[in-house]
Amino acid sequence: MINSSPFQHREQSIGDIMSLVIMACIPGICMSTWFFGYGLIINIVLAACCALAFEAAALLLRSRSLMQLKDNSALLTAVLFAIAIPPGSPWWLVVTGIFVAIVLVKHLYGGLGQNPFNPAMTAYVFLLLAFPLDMTSWHVPVPLEGAVGSTVLSNSLPNLSGFDNAIASSSMSSLGWQSLKLSLLATLPFLSAFYENPETAVELIDGMAMATPLIEYKMAGKSALLASWDSGLNIFSRQSETAWEMANISYLVAGLYLLYKGIISWHIPLSIVVTVLIISSLFYAPGSSSVFGTPYLHLFGSATMIGAFFIATDPVSAATSKSGKIIYGILIGCAIYSIRVWGSYLDSIALAVLFGNFFAPLLDHYCRPRIYGHKKHTSDGLGFRKKTLPLLGKLRVEKSKAEEIES
Amino acid sequence: MRLFRNMFANSKLRKMAGVQSIAHSTPGGITPHLHKSRSLRSKIMAIPIPPHLLIPLQQQQGTASAACVKAGDRVLKYQKIADATDSTSLDIYAPSSGVVSMIQNHTTINPAEKEQLCIFIDTDGKDEELAEIDAIEWQTLTREELLPVIRNAGICGMGGAGFPLPKKMETSSNREIHTLIVNAAECEPFITADQALIRERSEAVIQGAEILQYAINAKHCVIAIERSKGDAIAALSKSISHSSVEIVILDDKYPAGGERQVIQAVSGKELQANKLPADAGIHLQNVGSVYAVYRAVAESKPCISRITTLTGEALQTPKNFEALIGTPVSFLFDLCGIDKKNHAKTVVGGSLMGIELMDTSAPVMQSSNCLIAGSLAEFPDTIPEQPCIRCGFCAEACPAGLLPQQLLSYSRSEDAQQLEDHGLFDCIECGACSYVCPSKIPLVQYYRNSKEQLALSQEVFDTSKGWQARFQDHQYRIKKLKDEAEPRTAIKPANIPSAEEKPQGTFSKDQAILDVAAAVSRVKARRKNVIASSESPAKPIQADGEAET
Repeated sequence: MINSSPFQHREQSIGDIMSLVIMACIPGICMSTWFFGYGLIINIVLAACCALAFEAAALLLRSRSLMQLKDNSALLTAVLFAIAIPPGSPWWLVVTGIFVAIVLVKHLYGGLGQNPFNPAMTAYVFLLLAFPLDMTSWHVPVPLEGAVGSTVLSNSLPNLSGFDNAIASSSMSSLGWQSLKLSLLATLPFLSAFYENPETAVELIDGMAMATPLIEYKMAGKSALLASWDSGLNIFSRQSETAWEMANISYLVAGLYLLYKGIISWHIPLSIVVTVLIISSLFYAPGSSSVFGTPYLHLFGSATMIGAFFIATDPVSAATSKSGKIIYGILIGCAIYSIRVWGSYLDSIALAVLFGNFFAPLLDHYCRPRIYGHKKHTSDGLGFRKKTLPLLGKLRVEKSKAEEIES
Repeated sequence: MRLFRNMFANSKLRKMAGVQSIAHSTPGGITPHLHKSRSLRSKIMAIPIPPHLLIPLQQQQGTASAACVKAGDRVLKYQKIADATDSTSLDIYAPSSGVVSMIQNHTTINPAEKEQLCIFIDTDGKDEELAEIDAIEWQTLTREELLPVIRNAGICGMGGAGFPLPKKMETSSNREIHTLIVNAAECEPFITADQALIRERSEAVIQGAEILQYAINAKHCVIAIERSKGDAIAALSKSISHSSVEIVILDDKYPAGGERQVIQAVSGKELQANKLPADAGIHLQNVGSVYAVYRAVAESKPCISRITTLTGEALQTPKNFEALIGTPVSFLFDLCGIDKKNHAKTVVGGSLMGIELMDTSAPVMQSSNCLIAGSLAEFPDTIPEQPCIRCGFCAEACPAGLLPQQLLSYSRSEDAQQLEDHGLFDCIECGACSYVCPSKIPLVQYYRNSKEQLALSQEVFDTSKGWQARFQDHQYRIKKLKDEAEPRTAIKPANIPSAEEKPQGTFSKDQAILDVAAAVSRVKARRKNVIASSESPAKPIQADGEAET
């Protein structure tokens, strides 16, 4: 191809975009780490290493340049995947998931830009179906003495069962060395051989929590954040009920930053958030024994924000035109709510995003913007502007004539 | 924030001149780094006459002119050296005095690096003019008298595309024109020729606009210019105080100066894709051409020069030149002190729609608004393209409302129908999509290739259409013959012995008579059959005739 205009380009590359999105995840990651301990960080480090290794291997096998590692897309997939799975998941879960995401979902379909489904979410759903127990248990390292000495128990929400109290206290883990060691053991159990008394380590990892407070507090009418505020607690005190809300707020702020930077467009996040808000408001019955949860809880009590701003906006697998993006967001919003409330899975972002991915090609076909200077777009792909290129229309006519003769 | 800033800027501008209005917004667009200030530091320079001029016989879209001088002729400045051959070609005038040394092919500035017939003039440095013609008082002329003056001045659009002015005037004079828009939106990076022109010669520009307005009988005349060109707007505001010309301030974005974009910005209406500006009652003219019109009418001087920006990091003193048409590019570069080591690429036009020039001995043409001697830092080598991640930045930037990311995939898969449906032919090749693409995909190149391919297949189709028709007629005849074979055997007389029964290799008279009788009866039967099936009598008869002879 001859070199022709334009000769000037914006400097932003794919790698820059991806790294900016990864940066934007950092506040949320910090928040989760503050509340849940080192599990997430360990997940991310492990997932990132695996992702780079798998990506490099896949590129070599496909005889592509290893320079493509610089696009940071594998890293972003790894980070999103690591955030999605329970913190402190065992190493093999992470490795399997990343293998599915990078090799099966991305490179088998032709590499970056070719995958019809979101790699991180497909991997998540794969693991959810293959290892349901591991994917729904939150391994939070619980130092037994810490649980005993907890003083926050009395401040927990009134309708918490005893089991939940244990969880609430479990997330009180400090961010010290001990906690890091325990988290590492949770992820890489074989390391226990290097410790003096391995039994304690195994014992310590029995705290289990459900995925999100949305499930735990289906009955709660009030924001846990506000509840803890009312009860005189600092919102940063390590209490698991507030954790999700804080994380969601972090992701929301980071998402707005991405919007401001022009990395994502407003269409998908806004339509998801508004759809979830509207549906949850419609079905919310205050005071009744409904299990649907408050709209607030639907938006901030689970992974809605990271889903709307970071996961559903993955451009490769999303619809591409503005109107298409809005419909795509609405579909995902409906799916999020439906799966949460009427479905049997704990969290719904991954499934909802995959559900949306199925529709992306269809939306791309039907939701095209009006071309400048044309009145309306006929999207049937046939009657549209035959004047400038009558070739195909004519060919069709000739063909039908020929068929007539043959018969 | 931006809205507030704009509002503030607008109110400031309104104070500066009473009759400005703010433009309507247009879709898409980008805000690239403009690189304009370097070439705007000094005033427009009149250039010394180069030792050789080579004037291409075709500088515009359309047909080439016919040279009316021959090698050895001495020509004077403003003397006509080539005649227009039709409405899309132009008269060409000698830019300086000298001797025509030869008329032969030479590389010129065009995308295909094609050679073109040029008139070579060895200048004598005297710059002797043709007998001085008195300036006309154009106000005293009627419209019918004015039009030929403009037509014969040999002007083509100076905005870059190079559409011949006479043709454009002709189109407009056949229609009701209500507004003349002078396009001073020079939105592409690097180019400052129009801005410099307005800054220094705003009076002439305004007069040129008035002449043109009078010539095409337009009610209104507006000058569209971007907000960032404060000095040019100030100069214009000063000059328009005693005229009816208005200024419309456009947003600073690329491509604000595109034909359809300017029309929408000024009128608020989107021009239909299959319509010309003249259909909407608008005549759009680049400010450089308007200035050339002023020169042609008010000073009676045909177009022999244009204002060209010389810029780029490889030039020590970038500036605007009033360059004679036919000046070699290398001559201008030398005048600006070119640093050959630093010079990586020569681009004619802006950095987004310009074309790369390999041979700098090519001459300046009427449409050459900018010559960039770029360094490697300005025009880095092409980066290998990365996969498309469908980020959609290109769709945001596209002024034509297309989906460049979808067009790319169809361009790669050569899906003619989808390319057509997604509006490939509405692409104006502004390059905004390629500019923003984080994967550095040369999208515009893909579209150009696809357009060429489709045009080619259309051509092949058109030529093959005739053959296809012949072939189908042929098949039709064969089919008809087959159909008639059936009744022929059915009516065969019973007493005629079949071919198998005939004695081989011998000749008998009886047999011959019988054969003749059989043939006659066959023909008769067929005639009967033909008349019976009188639906399409012409063809079968003809077909039969062919078959039997």
